[in-house]
Amino acid sequence: MKSKIWNLMISIAVAALLITACGGAATTQAPTAPATDAPVVTEAPVATEAPAEPPIKIGASLPLTGDFSDPGTAAEKGYKLWADVVNKSGGLLGRQVELVIYDNASNPDTAVADYERLITEDKVDLVVGPFSSKLVIPTSEVAAKYGYAFPEPAGGAEHVFDRGLTNIFFAQPAPSSEQSIPFAEFILGLPEDSRPKTFAVITGDDPFSISVVDSTAKLLTDGGMTMVLREVYPADTKDFSSLAAKVADLDPDLIVGGTQFEDSVGQIKAYQQAGYQPRGAMFTTGPSLPKEFDEALGAATEGIFAPISWFEESTIETNPEFVQAYHAMYGADPIAEDSANSFTVGQIVQQAVENIQSLDNTLLIEEMHKATFTTVVGPLSFDEVGRPKGSFMVLQWQGGKIVIVGPDFARQVDAIWPKPNW
Amino acid sequence: MTIPSFHLFVQTLILGLLVGGVYALMASGLTLIFGVMRVINVAHGAFLILGAYLTYELFQNFQIDPIASILITMPVFFVIGWILQRYMLSRIANPEKTSVLVTFSLALVMEGLLGIIFQTTARSVTPSYTSEALMFATYRFPVTRLIGFGVALLIILLLYLILQYTNLGRAIRATTQDPRAAQLMGINTSMISAFTFALGVSTAAAGGSLLSIIYSFNPSSQADWIGRTLSIIVLGGMGSIPGALIAALILGVMEQMTAIVITLYWSPIVFYFFLFFTLIIRPQGLMGEIIREKG
Repeated sequence: MKSKIWNLMISIAVAALLITACGGAATTQAPTAPATDAPVVTEAPVATEAPAEPPIKIGASLPLTGDFSDPGTAAEKGYKLWADVVNKSGGLLGRQVELVIYDNASNPDTAVADYERLITEDKVDLVVGPFSSKLVIPTSEVAAKYGYAFPEPAGGAEHVFDRGLTNIFFAQPAPSSEQSIPFAEFILGLPEDSRPKTFAVITGDDPFSISVVDSTAKLLTDGGMTMVLREVYPADTKDFSSLAAKVADLDPDLIVGGTQFEDSVGQIKAYQQAGYQPRGAMFTTGPSLPKEFDEALGAATEGIFAPISWFEESTIETNPEFVQAYHAMYGADPIAEDSANSFTVGQIVQQAVENIQSLDNTLLIEEMHKATFTTVVGPLSFDEVGRPKGSFMVLQWQGGKIVIVGPDFARQVDAIWPKPNW
Repeated sequence: MTIPSFHLFVQTLILGLLVGGVYALMASGLTLIFGVMRVINVAHGAFLILGAYLTYELFQNFQIDPIASILITMPVFFVIGWILQRYMLSRIANPEKTSVLVTFSLALVMEGLLGIIFQTTARSVTPSYTSEALMFATYRFPVTRLIGFGVALLIILLLYLILQYTNLGRAIRATTQDPRAAQLMGINTSMISAFTFALGVSTAAAGGSLLSIIYSFNPSSQADWIGRTLSIIVLGGMGSIPGALIAALILGVMEQMTAIVITLYWSPIVFYFFLFFTLIIRPQGLMGEIIREKG
């Protein structure tokens, strides 16, 4: 009897140790790292000489696991690359930059707790934002509570800006509600006989996706098209077969999908199985991940559109250097937009700090509102609530690669229309 | 609410039945284990996902078709289940009360280990027939779901035949009805328990293979699947395989129908309402037996 209890206690203790050691996705606050990397607190001072001053600590909580893990890990790469580039060229204000990154598993509550901890316990000098409006919205309030500037790479939904916070800076060229203007202009600019007449909006329940697709829908209906269906599905939906059957039954000319990566693939595969062949398709995230989207869908990517803030071949000032440094650090794979967005955040931080020669957050917030920044997505400046003033672009998949098809200032090649069968 | 066209209605019915068959296979192991051992194996979802990952690895590295790999993964899981039961679960003093906690911790450990080994990127297995569908009388039968349905029914039928017509099956059913009486009749109930658990876990291997070609998955998907499979076995009657099949078909059809008539958000709600009302009228589920606590 006694040995049975003993055995049970030992088993439970071992199980408990294994659980905490493994650090399953949502259960721990400890800094975690992708399996192949060294511990997360990275960018230790380059050891050419003993640094005279302590490093500048910059904190972030990113969705490295969970629903946003693909763009989240891409964003982490951008931050780490930026820190590496800054440190190699002498650091910021003569001090080395040290990143402190936590994994929030795409969970808003965990993200909020992470920023609290970064600011109050780790006492970071600066913070930078997570990926996705869903996470930016609650965490920006934490930063505001402590007076920290909050430049962020991927939170552009209306609700990010309509709460009266002044410490947020969205580091892409346009807020979500304006991101699909180039796409809508392309569609409405098609000649009368090939222009689509009907469209459907199928979106996951996410503030960013909904913001983009609803503004797209408004532009298209204002331009004379008819929306035959609008459906919102729970964000973690995996089975799209019946939704696809419903869409196939209505057969709209154009499909506008509000997606992250996984559900964009899920939707497209379901449409293939349901035999639904639209004349055109646009998805909000998903097609913007050059490697993963291609791997998941192969030839089915041909002709799909997406709004995009940045592209690799762009010759905008500082972009070629960024692309070169990225490939030197991470290899030859194509670069995801999210890495460029987080790198942009780094550029904003660096230029603001160097402009005023200070790490004081109040002064930094003032400077970030005033200055125009030179970034890989072009010159960026912000309005009083942090909305960027600029224009997005629209990409299309052609021949297994992403190309920019609009607007005029960025076009590499003409778009193909209609979309070949997927 | 939208009234679907007749074509859409039938098409959705087809999709619901096809996916219901796969759900049934996934739930069959769970109900079997509960029936014999009164153990609720909360790690069943994790086993499904482990099976999916194994199928994925076999497909990626050796180009083994996911359906063919069932022949490999089922025996492997049988052995894993046997070892788990004989050397861990059988040593728990009060299985009826503590099995949930122990198997829950097992599920968490498995989820964590899978996350470390495979990372959390969503995966799916994409054989050449992934996006194809067979057309029959203007209705589409997606190939992956059709195959899933066929394989699931085959395995469930085999399971049922074993239970009904073999001595081993009779021993299992006897242990389900009354473990003490079975023991008195000379049945080695601890062997039966080990065998049943192993059999239940091996069906999770097959379920996982089918899951991998129909859905995308990552380590934390195990939580989605355990919820579904538990609801199925409760509705079907715990311990009844035919019950699990009927309940799974009902769930499949209700889910898909709700998605087109209302929206996807309502799918789980409608099913749970149905489950709730069934349990009020018939607490033992559709085909379950009333289990009386022995004094």
